[in-house]
Amino acid sequence: MNATLRKSWRTYLVEIVMLLGSLIVLLPILIMVLGSFKTSAEVLDFSLKLPKEWLFSNYQKVYEEGNLLRAFLNGILITGVSSIVNIVTTSAASFVLVRRESRLSNALYLFFFMGLIAPMSTITTIRVVQWLGFYGSITSVILIYAALNTAFSVFLYNGFIKSIPKALDEVAFLEGAGMFSVFFRIIIPLIVPVNATVAIMVFMSVWNDITIPIYFLTDSSDWTMPLSVYNFYGKYSRDWNLIFADLVLTSLPVFILYLFAQKYIVGGLTAGAVKG
Amino acid sequence: MKISKRLYSYYMVWPALLIYSLFFVLPTIIGLFYSFTDWRLDRTELHFNGWTNFKTIFSDSTLLLALKNTVIFAVVTVIGKNVIGIALAVALNMKLKTRNGLRAIFYSPSILSIMVISIVFTPMLRSDGTINKLFEAVGLGSLSQAWLTDPAIVIFTIAAVSIWQTAGFQMAIYLAGLQSISKEYYEAATIDGAGSWKSFVNITLPLLLPAININVMLTLIGGLKVFSEVFVLTGGGPGNASQVVGTIILRSFGEGSWGLGTAVNTLLFVAVTIISIPLLMFMRRKEVTE
Repeated sequence: MNATLRKSWRTYLVEIVMLLGSLIVLLPILIMVLGSFKTSAEVLDFSLKLPKEWLFSNYQKVYEEGNLLRAFLNGILITGVSSIVNIVTTSAASFVLVRRESRLSNALYLFFFMGLIAPMSTITTIRVVQWLGFYGSITSVILIYAALNTAFSVFLYNGFIKSIPKALDEVAFLEGAGMFSVFFRIIIPLIVPVNATVAIMVFMSVWNDITIPIYFLTDSSDWTMPLSVYNFYGKYSRDWNLIFADLVLTSLPVFILYLFAQKYIVGGLTAGAVKG
Repeated sequence: MKISKRLYSYYMVWPALLIYSLFFVLPTIIGLFYSFTDWRLDRTELHFNGWTNFKTIFSDSTLLLALKNTVIFAVVTVIGKNVIGIALAVALNMKLKTRNGLRAIFYSPSILSIMVISIVFTPMLRSDGTINKLFEAVGLGSLSQAWLTDPAIVIFTIAAVSIWQTAGFQMAIYLAGLQSISKEYYEAATIDGAGSWKSFVNITLPLLLPAININVMLTLIGGLKVFSEVFVLTGGGPGNASQVVGTIILRSFGEGSWGLGTAVNTLLFVAVTIISIPLLMFMRRKEVTE
């Protein structure tokens, strides 16, 4: 009795500490969201005070002057195509690598795995892209993102395809099916949840990235949202209300994706990280 | 009835292998080669110059400072993200009423772009910014700092912003690890009269080892590759006080000293690879025991 009482006290204490701690996380986000509705003078105290008047017009102004639609569509194009290329190529590759179980397939898996660890060599990647003749293009950025995420995706697919019994393939092969129809009819339907996880993880990391556009997108009309917000931040450095509104708009797509796709993110972390 | 493994043709590996090799592996390999050349914007011909680039790195005070800052950033973020990540995971694995909401709040900064986070923190970290005002409001005015303009602390400030952003991501991995620990261990420990600290040290930490290993490696590798936070928060300044390897590579690229920049990149590659070999061995061993 005494022990349970002490335990419930401790639970309350932990809960209070955690609630206070969550303020540290919420404070900057709230300052950003509230500030985006203030006037350019009112926003300068960077506080949690509510705006005297909620200026939705800030958003309209940012939308018109920040070239946001263009940046949004660039982001959708780059992230969408690189995620699709990544998913199609890595799921197919992992399928064969897992099923072969040979020395060569193990070596190839390790070769891919190295990509999870090694940092990319930026300047020489530019050189390779120049040799291929498309430096500065959106195509080059799409292929680089697909390459950078290959290791991570092979790693996730590898773990999942291993758990699909080989007997399923064998039955289909005995009935005369080829490798492609086994892959499309048996494996693909079973890996739909992993596809979602990989798609979301790749989408989020590519959408939020600024490193690759800085080096590889030489024309600012090709820039994605996080980089165009940086440009805007330089130009409107006095109007923090507009900067905040731009930041909120930049974050909105990933935030919405997160709300709808939470279970796939957690599922992916559990499968990839803890089960190994 | 066994089927031939030949039915799984390597054709399906080719597309992934091609993209990965061309845009990731090939640049890494030619990078090793270019590190030993005088590759510059204004040169039409390349010459081998032996260890010159590496000698330059280790004799230039800015480059040395960048290496030191990178290591400081990596060590501070590894400790901060993992200690806070474990603490959050243990607390939010208890039966709290607001558990799900708190988990979502702590995780949320890690879905945002580093660009967004860094811009939001910029005005808060000024000398007259929100953070110093908060310290003054609770009577801790002496803790006020010139967070981003004092050369002595700027790299720690950037590390703190990074910890703020991704400790919740580490928490999510630790939570998954905690949930795989059987409750029976704790019940047995309670019967034996162990307190909660003892249970934590003797049960939780050892059984959380796979998650700790992965998180430490993830944060360490990520820390050594740091670029975006520094680029947005300080651009390497004040002066060169917060330069890291990632920003030096961009600077060398901009100045046209491509051979030197590639050599810095190679140094990072070697460091990360050496550190990561224990991770590879650990994970392979785990596969065997499973």
